[in-house]
Amino acid sequence: MPATISRRRFLGLTAAAGVVAALGLPLLRKEASSAEERPKARYALIIDTTKCTGCGACIEACRQRNKLPEGLSYIRRIVKGNERNPWFLMVQCQHCANPPCATVCPTHATYRREDGVVLIDPRLCVGCKYCMQACPYQARIFDEKRGVADKCWLCLPWVLGGGLPACVEACIPGARIFGRADDPQSEVAQLIASGRAKPLHPEFGTEPSILFYIIQEE
Amino acid sequence: MQTAWGWPIAIYLFLGGLGAGALLIAAAFEFSGKRYQYDFCPTALVGATVPGPLLILGTLLLIFDLGAGRREPWRILYMYTHFSSVMTWGVWLLTLFIPVALIYGFLEILDAFPATRQWLKSRRWLRWTAFLWNLPLRQTKRIFAGVGAVLAIGVATYTGILISAVGPAIPFWSTWVLPFIPIPMLPVLFLVSAISTGLGLTVDLAATLALGSVEQRLKSLPWIHLALIGAETLLLGMMLITALMAGGSAAKSAQEIIAGSYAIVFWFLIVLPGFIFPFVVHAYAIGLGRHSPVSGVGSGMGIVISGLFLRYLILISGIPAAL
Repeated sequence: MPATISRRRFLGLTAAAGVVAALGLPLLRKEASSAEERPKARYALIIDTTKCTGCGACIEACRQRNKLPEGLSYIRRIVKGNERNPWFLMVQCQHCANPPCATVCPTHATYRREDGVVLIDPRLCVGCKYCMQACPYQARIFDEKRGVADKCWLCLPWVLGGGLPACVEACIPGARIFGRADDPQSEVAQLIASGRAKPLHPEFGTEPSILFYIIQEE
Repeated sequence: MQTAWGWPIAIYLFLGGLGAGALLIAAAFEFSGKRYQYDFCPTALVGATVPGPLLILGTLLLIFDLGAGRREPWRILYMYTHFSSVMTWGVWLLTLFIPVALIYGFLEILDAFPATRQWLKSRRWLRWTAFLWNLPLRQTKRIFAGVGAVLAIGVATYTGILISAVGPAIPFWSTWVLPFIPIPMLPVLFLVSAISTGLGLTVDLAATLALGSVEQRLKSLPWIHLALIGAETLLLGMMLITALMAGGSAAKSAQEIIAGSYAIVFWFLIVLPGFIFPFVVHAYAIGLGRHSPVSGVGSGMGIVISGLFLRYLILISGIPAAL
């Protein structure tokens, strides 16, 4: 004869199990805490600001591929220099090895993959916007429709399938160079190793691990 | 300026500080014995009963400001899980503080109005609360006042840690105490402001309105206020000077506050009602030896309003680091 269990007790146990499962889901995520533990990024995306004309083709391509509403993109254009001699800084998620967005996220929604790509799990995001405040590159936008934070994900499904991020594909002057950072023979690895391509604002301490910039000395 | 957080968050930060401060004052009256010097103590009554509802209101504002978490409230449970986030600490603090404050307020009502006990007994649907009113009242109340006070310090301080934790992203928020002391100023400033607004609410406002005068109850009130105003002036002044010296967008924030687009808010909605006016009122009370009820209520309201606009100003004047 099966053990008897009251209806009330059953419902209570089910609810308790639901709460435990809900809390357990985000806790499954593993996190690196020290600099040595942080895996090296597998990819690199280098932006050569000496070639960038600021045309915005990358911004538009990003918007279209990621089906973002008019006027929103994962890439932002900042005009630098002076009026007579302007240059352009295209800023998107730097995929930091020590991402402050992931540290401040109260829910484990933001995390860094083993290959260095920083992602947002929209199922876990509550939309508190703390990550938007904590990103010194202001690389995050807010998806008003779903009520979650959003940002560059390096077009991960395309990259994993051997393709390119939309911004790299669309860049007209060839100012965006994408490749494998873990292959020392690749162009990106050599540009980084030679010190020509540098992280943007390393003084923020977030250790950008995929985006690097070639910036002409002024 | 940053645009992600606006009025709902500013009001929450204010309510958190006000509730925590009010509870700290009530607990101070409880443990100093001042609560029991008279038959009726409006300061302890308001200081114990108001924090719970204030923090509930603040929490509702936080939830209202969420994106997906507002539409799918079970996602809020995830916010208990990531302990590197100051927001997770805050969620835990609110979860602990609100029930403790509500029970403390309930016990204070029972103590102040013994007839409540009869009323509760006569209501069948409230009988489950018997486990609370059958306990030895004063000892139980003391425990909740003590635990509540510890949590209140946590709540008031964390509101400052929450926004200073964004670090280099918004340099003004993480401005140090002094250029060579790497401790963020905001948690300290918000704690002092919390105590100040709590005192303004429970003594200047509540006690004056209930008793017509507060002198006999708290003779040292003007001195405490002068000390708090002095401390806040020093902390806010140090923060602005340190930000100016740091340069970059922190300095820009400080310039906008002192003489830029936020100067009107700063001088006329913070400094005048919350610093200059109560300073004059309380300095005058020291010289005169007594308070007029009108000035007491006025200084209380001024301090509370100033506390609200201080949170708003700090939030809105946060300028992201230049790239």
